[in-house]
Amino acid sequence: MKIEIKDFCIRCGLCEDLYPELFHFDHPSDSIILKSEEVSGDLIEVAKNAARDCAIAAIHLKN
Amino acid sequence: MKIINTDIAIMGSGLAGLSAAVTALEKGARVAVFEKRPFQGGGVSNTPMMTLAVRDDQAYKDKAFKLHMEYTNWNANPDVVRSWIDNSSRIPDFIRGLGIEFAGSMMNPLEELGTKRGYGAGFPNAFHIGDYYYLKPIGQGHGAAVICKKMADRVKALGGELHFSTPIQSLIKEGDKVVGALAKDKEGNTVQINAKAVIVASGGFSDDKELLAELGLKLTDKNCSDGGNVVFNHFCNAQLTADGQKAVWKIGGARSGMAVNGHNMCPGPGIVAHNVGWIHRNKLRTVQEQPYLWVNHKGERFISEEQSDCHMAMVTAINNTKEKYAYLVFDEDTAKHMEEDGVEYFYFIFKAVKLTDVRKQFEEVIAKGNKHVFLTDTLEDLADQTGIRKEALLKTIETYNGYCDQGYDAQYAKDPKYLFPVRKSKFYAMRVFVGGYHAYGGIKVNGRCEVLDKDFDVIQGLYAAGDCCASEIYGNPPVGGIGVSTLSFAQGFITADQATAYVQQ
Repeated sequence: MKIEIKDFCIRCGLCEDLYPELFHFDHPSDSIILKSEEVSGDLIEVAKNAARDCAIAAIHLKN
Repeated sequence: MKIINTDIAIMGSGLAGLSAAVTALEKGARVAVFEKRPFQGGGVSNTPMMTLAVRDDQAYKDKAFKLHMEYTNWNANPDVVRSWIDNSSRIPDFIRGLGIEFAGSMMNPLEELGTKRGYGAGFPNAFHIGDYYYLKPIGQGHGAAVICKKMADRVKALGGELHFSTPIQSLIKEGDKVVGALAKDKEGNTVQINAKAVIVASGGFSDDKELLAELGLKLTDKNCSDGGNVVFNHFCNAQLTADGQKAVWKIGGARSGMAVNGHNMCPGPGIVAHNVGWIHRNKLRTVQEQPYLWVNHKGERFISEEQSDCHMAMVTAINNTKEKYAYLVFDEDTAKHMEEDGVEYFYFIFKAVKLTDVRKQFEEVIAKGNKHVFLTDTLEDLADQTGIRKEALLKTIETYNGYCDQGYDAQYAKDPKYLFPVRKSKFYAMRVFVGGYHAYGGIKVNGRCEVLDKDFDVIQGLYAAGDCCASEIYGNPPVGGIGVSTLSFAQGFITADQATAYVQQ
């Protein structure tokens, strides 16, 4: 499963707070960094939760 | 040089800038919005969760106005307050017009205004002046993020321009009129914006260390690990550096009061999330709301603790201490009381009645390396670990316990129901710092949101809305406040009304 962060992401950092295994807020570049664009196994559920919890629905998942 | 011609240029794409943009577009003006970050939202990227509207009823509006002005001791600008209150009733329909339903609302009757804490808890009674509308979030976010996205979409649908990563850096003034601005695009090219009017809605200054230092505050990190003393729990990472204020001052705009909207905080790690202040890791965030014994670093009481559910009062009192931090102190019996009987206060975001295993939560946070949470066997150890002056602390506790036994607080007349002695081991303490939701103010405006120069005369073609001029609502010097979303929406409408009329002359 692939994770995509849409360009309207507001960099609130909620994804890093809740799911640090998948997301890193890189403050110097003011961007959310995906630790892995492709996830498998247990991380699929984590990615689904992250997409559900995003404040602006900017996290999209693709099979 | 790139040239952009428009009727109204708007600096900032938060609630104020975008509500101004949508309103002006609906009135037929050409609008271009300039935002320094690559997306809409500005400081509201992680707040707020509700807004306030004073209903369109003259008696209601009059009472709200008087309550607010009395709260500020009439040092707020009465015309600005009046226009905010008069226009706030437009907010609910405006938000619904974006296709957003509220998660709920709380209608406060006229006769009850000013009788309760604003927004239910956390804020002075003077903010209990209207109806509360809960903004419906998605995910675990706050509703304003969704509103900003919807407004940005509406701006585009109405033919407006959104220029992200294009910060306005200065205003262009010809004679006594503002006629545009200069910006930089993301490639670093200068953009000349020719506009008949400019609306500054660039937010506050929570990330500007120099301006905070002028208030005697040293911006610190979420753990207060670098000797600083002010930590923000909202508007984090929003790059709010008073860009609009500085641009206005540079062309002769008057400087109004600037302040931090206080929110006392025990910092991390382990209490709230690092980026988003409303994601709590345990119930310690609720513990720090409680009206038990509070002492300063000298071991002395410094406020009637029943104010502990009024963040601005607590922060003001903590800010008045030399160290700009203070301690909540309680014992094992009080910890049990919070578990068995429930807490005295809860902040509306962190709803809790009965806590679970307070001691374990303290132990877990301490194990995570939190240097501001303490749990000891003796009061002497508590003094040693916290650094509170031992003799004074012991004397204060002895006196305070006497008040508890008598059921009367001779020092501050605290409500007896909040008198809990500190006697039984273990002993608990939390070091609480000056904190804030955000920092705001700096631009002086009149009731039409026209920006004033140093002689308090209108600068033609220049308007301001939202946090950058919020001290006109909260006084000068400001008395603090909250609920800036209501101000941002209302002043967005006002600046759009005024600027559109100005450009269509």
